[in-house]
Amino acid sequence: MERILRSKEMAEIILLPVRHHSPACAFHVERTIEEIRPAVILVEGPDNADALIPVMVHEETKAPFAIYYSYHDQSGRISEEKAHYKCYYPFLDYSPELAALRAGNRLGIETAFIDLPYGDILAASREDRGLRRAEEEKSNYNDDYLLSRNAYLLKLCERTGLRSFDEFWEKYFELNGMQEKSERWFDNLSVYCGLARENTPRESMEDDGCLARESYMAKRIREHARRLAGAESTVLVVTGGFHTPGLKALLTGEEECAVLEAVLGERLKRAEEIIADAERGPETARTEGRHIGTDLGTEANGDEGSPVSREKKTEAGKTRDKVPDKDQGVYLMPYSMEAADALNGYASGMPFTGFYQKIWERARESETPYESAVLDMIVAAGKETRRKEGYLSTYDEICACSMAGGLAALRGKREPGAYELLDAVLSSFVKGEYNLASDTPVRILRKLMTGKEVGALCPQADVPPIIHDFQDECKRFGLKIVSTLEAEATLSIFSNKKHRQQSMFFNRMQYLNTAFARKIKGPNLQLKKDRNLMREIWKYKWNVQVNAALIEVSVYGATIEEAVVSLVKEELKKELGAKESALLLTRVFEMGLRDQMQPVFARAHQLMLADTDFYSIAEALKSLMMMEELGKLYGSALEFGELIAIGCRKLTGLLPSMTRIKDEDLESCMNALKLLYRITGREGMRGQEREDYIEALQKMTLDGEINAGLNGCVHGILYGSGQETAEEIETVCKGYLKGTEEQLFSTAQFFRGLFFTARDLVFIGEQFVRMLDGFYGTVSQEEFMELLPKLRMAFAYFTPREIDRIAAMAAGIHGKGSGDIMERQEVYPDWYAYGKELDGYVKAQLI
Amino acid sequence: MEQYIKPPVEIRYREELEALKANDGGNRPENWQMSPKAVRTFILGSQKPVPYNGKEYTIEKKYFGNDALVERCIVTLAGNRGLMLVGEPGTAKTMLSELLSAAISGVSTNTIQGTAGTTEDMIKYSWNYALLLAKGPSREALVPAPLYVGMEKGILTRFEEITRTPAEIQDSLISVLSDKVLNVPELGDEGFLFAKPGFNVIGTANTRDKGVNEMSSALKRRFNFETVMPVREAGLEKRIIVSEVEKLAAESHMAMEVDEDVAEILASTYHELREGTSSYGHRIDKPSAVMSTAEAVSVYYQTMITGYYYGDGTLSMDSLVQNLVGAISKENKDDLEKVKGYFNTVIRDKSSKEGGLWKEYYEARKWLR
Repeated sequence: MERILRSKEMAEIILLPVRHHSPACAFHVERTIEEIRPAVILVEGPDNADALIPVMVHEETKAPFAIYYSYHDQSGRISEEKAHYKCYYPFLDYSPELAALRAGNRLGIETAFIDLPYGDILAASREDRGLRRAEEEKSNYNDDYLLSRNAYLLKLCERTGLRSFDEFWEKYFELNGMQEKSERWFDNLSVYCGLARENTPRESMEDDGCLARESYMAKRIREHARRLAGAESTVLVVTGGFHTPGLKALLTGEEECAVLEAVLGERLKRAEEIIADAERGPETARTEGRHIGTDLGTEANGDEGSPVSREKKTEAGKTRDKVPDKDQGVYLMPYSMEAADALNGYASGMPFTGFYQKIWERARESETPYESAVLDMIVAAGKETRRKEGYLSTYDEICACSMAGGLAALRGKREPGAYELLDAVLSSFVKGEYNLASDTPVRILRKLMTGKEVGALCPQADVPPIIHDFQDECKRFGLKIVSTLEAEATLSIFSNKKHRQQSMFFNRMQYLNTAFARKIKGPNLQLKKDRNLMREIWKYKWNVQVNAALIEVSVYGATIEEAVVSLVKEELKKELGAKESALLLTRVFEMGLRDQMQPVFARAHQLMLADTDFYSIAEALKSLMMMEELGKLYGSALEFGELIAIGCRKLTGLLPSMTRIKDEDLESCMNALKLLYRITGREGMRGQEREDYIEALQKMTLDGEINAGLNGCVHGILYGSGQETAEEIETVCKGYLKGTEEQLFSTAQFFRGLFFTARDLVFIGEQFVRMLDGFYGTVSQEEFMELLPKLRMAFAYFTPREIDRIAAMAAGIHGKGSGDIMERQEVYPDWYAYGKELDGYVKAQLI
Repeated sequence: MEQYIKPPVEIRYREELEALKANDGGNRPENWQMSPKAVRTFILGSQKPVPYNGKEYTIEKKYFGNDALVERCIVTLAGNRGLMLVGEPGTAKTMLSELLSAAISGVSTNTIQGTAGTTEDMIKYSWNYALLLAKGPSREALVPAPLYVGMEKGILTRFEEITRTPAEIQDSLISVLSDKVLNVPELGDEGFLFAKPGFNVIGTANTRDKGVNEMSSALKRRFNFETVMPVREAGLEKRIIVSEVEKLAAESHMAMEVDEDVAEILASTYHELREGTSSYGHRIDKPSAVMSTAEAVSVYYQTMITGYYYGDGTLSMDSLVQNLVGAISKENKDDLEKVKGYFNTVIRDKSSKEGGLWKEYYEARKWLR
């Protein structure tokens, strides 16, 4: 730990470096507080969350929980986009910060957060750095990555033969940590943190907003120390280890800062000694009490200590005004172990939350908490594996235990830790080659090591307005949200206005990903399925997670409707295709949003114009048409006419380039053509659209290499709209029939297209049937079999009665009646036997 | 060392082993030559030199890729279960098992070489028939096989390619591994051979040959499995090629330096063909042939021999590509086409960007046929 001795102006300050989520760290923080009894405990964390501390330490509040920070950049302080930002600050029982706050509460010590509010941190960070990193995962306030991403650490792991920072940490700080004296433990950590910091480029700290935060924290610490000056009291500061050296430099003045830089070599040596100590075992290490960190050399290196000069610069640059409070939100929300586990992608903090929770629970009673936790985990994983796979024996578990112990001894660890546990299960439980099929035991273990606990908040916890809105809505519709049992609601959305509103509410909740309600039956507009259904059946269930999900979106608005509207707008900012944007509109339609939808339409316009994919636009048009038809039923006032007109023009424009499509695209292309025909014939369309459409079609037929099916389809439409006569189409058909072999084969495809749009052609005279008949005559038996599937597709568009008619016509050509072809002459078994015999006889004679 | 093509590990590293033994302060499991920690140091190397007989020995790292796996192997061998190393061909399973036996038992040659024709008496014991006829069944007339030797002396028995032997032969290990006793009924009451401490079995098996003779689950239960993965890092693969080829060259007294750049080219070729993507992000068709590091080493070594004895003492890219063809077109004709495709895309781009050796390499593609 770093002490800054009391002076006239300031009380004594003790800086405790910590790593977020570390049992050993939490243990020592707690113990140190009990020993020192400081007058105030200052904890790293945005200080606009101060009001939450009483709730955090309330005995009914159960970890894991997180502070949720949100910021809506209405004033455009961060960027012109005026975006929404949010981040989480998770706490587990063994988070040192929480341990400090709880100890403060227990001992009646004042506690406070000291970091910049979230919005100000954002303002101080460069784009894509620090908390502004564009990550898919949840953004996390914890900045332990600062400790684990530096060149020094890579070397250290290589030298010590450890796999990662986490294993390094466990070996040197956790496994031996509980037994060590607190002061010494913090000193060791100080050394590591100092080295991590010295091996991190200063520019990077600046970009991450680190320096701005530190100078703010130093200011707050100084305020408290000045307030308590003169008294025999101490200010205890708990911050991420990476910041401790920086804070110390700031609090003791510039000189010290340069000194820090100068003693780099010294520290490296000390670090190596510590590692050597640990290697030798905790016993020897303890006897040689060392004090590191406080007794740094005094020779200040004259080097123009770029850190110092830069420090000034940052201080100077920090005169910008604070981010307005009204745009910032801060709430507590229940969190889960899964979300807190670093392995699940939430980058910061220690992995294996469930495992370390067990360690924390045992740490105070047992001398060997790891050994018993490892045993428990092996047994639990073994039991689960047995249940799932059925092959595991108790002896496997015994082997795993001795493996864990053996590895710990071999690796010079005091007790087996998380990595020995993983290795033991991998080695003893997995039978055969390690691959996806055999890794079940390891997966089970990982899950157990993550844990599945979910936190809870005490009733006094403040909730954001969106939750009040949710509760009001539930009351309005009489939904039970007290029990956590699943309930069902049947909604006649077309006949009952209130039911429609309830459906809108459910749809909105679904859009917000709250897992509150799911539709199990009813029209599905997104897939355009079940549109004939008149009722929707929903299942809904409330649990803590629903509230947590609502808190997550609370940055987007005070009511559910507001949040939905801003999320829709947000989604539209992405580069969506026409199809996706129409799909989004379908959701808007289902959610019954109407106010403030103008910008959404404008954006959908843009996206429609920007898209050049024929099929995507066709899909979008289809959705739009559907919504327009259903508009009245759903009581929607959304106007799609304009969008449809644009899509239609766009599609017509693209048509001439669509001639050479592949066969597999034929179906969707034909559907698009049909759709266009319908749209251009609509009321309210100016005649111009239809003309353009016909013109485009005619242009298409001029392409010699047009897909045969499409050609048939186009000709069918031209015939249907009176642009071509039956004779002309016959000529085209004959063209295929008399063409080269390949062209002859595509006749079947041509018929398919033609019948799709103009099947009545067949019944006009006999010509078509004759032509077909002639076609069958030309192809050989083998070729016919090859064409059969395509021909079947072509005739699939006819109704059974129509097929009968065609058959009768075909029979007529061959001089038979329709009755004749229905009957087949049967072959008697005797005849068959006779024929076979005859065959055999002739064959025998021939040889 | 001159009389061997390839000296056994315990001879090749005799000094290192002696030095480690002399400096070993750790606890030794019974009948082990050295402590588990020293075994680890022998295989994974140490930074500090070890003094012995007035000299200092630097223990080099002999097995690359997965340190935790080596540690697990050592702990398994000290326990009650056998160790089974499985993995793709050419992933140094055999080398690892030799290193472990040499370090733990001081001998790596107590080995059963599994084939389709392996019989039970090649594993346990057979008889000297002249003596058997003359004296009747006695210990004198018994010819011990590696499993017997291992149990009798308390040393490790290696079983190579265990899945190549018929399943019923494999199963003869089952009761020995669990009860640690071998019964020789011909010897009557004296026919019980109780295994001495220090005895254990290291098996190796190829996953590519899995279909040949799958192990019974009863046998599987008596082993801890370790899956040895191919090296996933081109840089490491290069290091392995260089160090292995250096060893081979020294053994055959070839005074020729290993060219790191050529090793790099070869390592990246093997690496990219195995992984299916290039360092530039091309997607590559993977050949079905085994693209192991051991293969890469042998391609390099062959090229070196060609240069040393037939050429001008340098490595030529032409002969490298020729040897590559020999290594790849073994089973499937399509593989050569895939490598051609690889040269025509990835190597072409690399040659135009990097120039130098890459260019020569690209030009040598004419030998891909």
